[in-house]
Amino acid sequence: MQAGGSQIEMMEPLARAYEHSVPEHPIDGGLFGPGSMVWRVHRDRSFPLAAIRSLMVQALHPLAMAGVAQHSTWQRDPFGRLAATAGYVLTVTYGDTVAAERAAARVRAVHTHVRGTDPVTGLAYRAEDPELLLWVHAGMVDSIAEIVQRYGRSLDAAGADRYVAEMARFAEILGVPASRLPTSVAALRDYLEAVELRQLTPAASEAIAVVLDPPGLDAPTRELWHDLGQVAVGTLPGWARSMYGFDAPPAESMEREPVRQLIGALDFAFESLPGVLEARERIALRTRA
Amino acid sequence: MRQSRLGRGASLARLALRIGGRYAARSPRLIFASVERRGELRQELALRTAEDVVEELGSMKGALMKLGQMASYIDEDMPQTFRSAMRRLQHNAPPMTPELARSVVEAELGAPPERIFARWDPLPFAAASIGQVHKAITTEGRAVAVKVQYPGIARTIVSDVQNVALLRRVTSAAFPGLDTRSLIEELGERLREEVDYALEAENQTLFADYYEDHPVIHVPRVVGELSTPRVLTSELVAGSRFDEVLGWSQHERNLAAETINRFVSRSLYRLHAFNGDPHPGNYLFHGQGRVTFLDFGLTKHFSDEDLAPLIDAVRFLVVENDPERFRASLEHAGFLRAGAPVSTEAVVDRFGVFYSTVLRDEPVTLTPAYASAIVRRFFDARSPLAPYSDVPRAYVVLQRINLGLYALLGSLNATANWRRISEEFWPFLNGPPSTPIGEAEAAWEQSRQGRELSLDRSA
Repeated sequence: MQAGGSQIEMMEPLARAYEHSVPEHPIDGGLFGPGSMVWRVHRDRSFPLAAIRSLMVQALHPLAMAGVAQHSTWQRDPFGRLAATAGYVLTVTYGDTVAAERAAARVRAVHTHVRGTDPVTGLAYRAEDPELLLWVHAGMVDSIAEIVQRYGRSLDAAGADRYVAEMARFAEILGVPASRLPTSVAALRDYLEAVELRQLTPAASEAIAVVLDPPGLDAPTRELWHDLGQVAVGTLPGWARSMYGFDAPPAESMEREPVRQLIGALDFAFESLPGVLEARERIALRTRA
Repeated sequence: MRQSRLGRGASLARLALRIGGRYAARSPRLIFASVERRGELRQELALRTAEDVVEELGSMKGALMKLGQMASYIDEDMPQTFRSAMRRLQHNAPPMTPELARSVVEAELGAPPERIFARWDPLPFAAASIGQVHKAITTEGRAVAVKVQYPGIARTIVSDVQNVALLRRVTSAAFPGLDTRSLIEELGERLREEVDYALEAENQTLFADYYEDHPVIHVPRVVGELSTPRVLTSELVAGSRFDEVLGWSQHERNLAAETINRFVSRSLYRLHAFNGDPHPGNYLFHGQGRVTFLDFGLTKHFSDEDLAPLIDAVRFLVVENDPERFRASLEHAGFLRAGAPVSTEAVVDRFGVFYSTVLRDEPVTLTPAYASAIVRRFFDARSPLAPYSDVPRAYVVLQRINLGLYALLGSLNATANWRRISEEFWPFLNGPPSTPIGEAEAAWEQSRQGRELSLDRSA
């Protein structure tokens, strides 16, 4: 059909990830269980925003960024790469224990091959390094907690802390020792700000430029995406925003209502893709049972 | 930017062709439409809190569904995704839990439903415009249908349609070929009306008052003291649904069709109002031509100035056979650009199709094929008139009703002398009753006028 038809295709890998990650006949409740805060938070519709913010925070560690830049095909297929990550998060969350552990084992196996030297700092890195894994984990968990608290379904401070604590398990299965994992929002932020090696490398600039302005969008979709990116920038911690050199967006564009409308419009399109609504219903029914 | 008139006309034709089939299949309706069976309401996914409601229908979702519904009338080329989005979301719009519905009644009427009503069914029996319908019995023993609006939905929808900048972006992404400004305006108006049950109650009361004691047309009474902007209580009516009527004898189907046709003509010409949604779910049938009309959420009122050119058109084409003046009345109404370089013969050929059931004084059978042929002809993009014709905004609702109505009457395969029936209502003729139902109507009208006179005198 017209351009309108092609835009939605970019979300299709994401929809398939959703569909396949939420099993119809799970053997058990998985690593967290239907009553967990993780289940509640990870079905939130503000997730695309949390994803953009996560990537922006995670990219500011030169070694984490180098690993992605040197070993991933994301630049050729940014939406496919995003879908793969989302599929992993969703499988570990909603899949049964076997599926979650299998997914984690696959990621660990891939990580064994991801090693090299960062051209900017000259430091060697390996993806199995618990410190790098912790950074990536913290960037994600902090972003999800922040975004869902601001723009998602009601999540109070205690709920956010519980979420962070529950998510420790998420990092443990990839090889981060439990003792290193923050169990509250405050501890998570303290950790992020204490990491010495934080800087904007050319690889990160390049990556984030693509995240904020993905290729191949038509003009109106691009504007919608830019709006979303601007909100993500507005939610970054101060240190991260200054590293990128972004100004704080105007306060009115950060208000809950218009941002929720923006998220809702995107989610309307996303939910219309085959499998998404059904997957969400499976989650809802299990949470209520 | 703007899709050519030609292209749009072609889309309309294709769309209109499918309306008949769509109605016949009783395909899933949008959440804003009326009737869904109780068993299909998914209680296990029921909305438990106002926050659930906003998640399901707020944050642009309800507004976008409505927008898509409206756009489907004018843009057949709407991306498949958007189409399926509407279909799927409608299917899955869950009801409120009994507790949540109860809390709305309590907030609106001042006490929980068990105290307001003698009996209250905690489970809804139908989905409704952004809400659901419960059966209840009042303390006076009247059986009523209580339409309960989702809590918080009015506020969020009104705020959503005010975010015009976002709606523009979304619509230009979804409908690249369409000028969406008027669509967004119309959306805002429609939704603001739809969330206001008080307005609907007012319209329903207007119709109920007018049709009081009518021999075949029934409009349920609103129970004013049990109604608010979020709760609409009206008389509960039992009857057969449209798909059941399709199995009735042809004689019964003819009578049902005649009554629907009379309701439309009478409402337009006498009441200057139109109940805008000719969906099969909005009728209940009682046999012998008796029909109950439900759902006044989309009511359009016409001024004399709106109506005059329509009346002129029918008069000059059908009765006085004066093509030039017929053409002038279409130009006056804005259906045809004045001075368009086309022959009046072509104008008659194209616009005359809408009058083809009333051109001759003889029985005509409306079949689905006939109905779609009318529509196809009207929207024929290859017509030399296509670049010069339009549907002015005042008549958009009318147009929509007309298309739906033809499809509806077509699926009843109804035969009648539509010309004679119409003449009864054309203000320049005020023809005599032409059928038994017409006779009964005339008698009703006389007693009605008598009542009004005696009221005038007592006042």
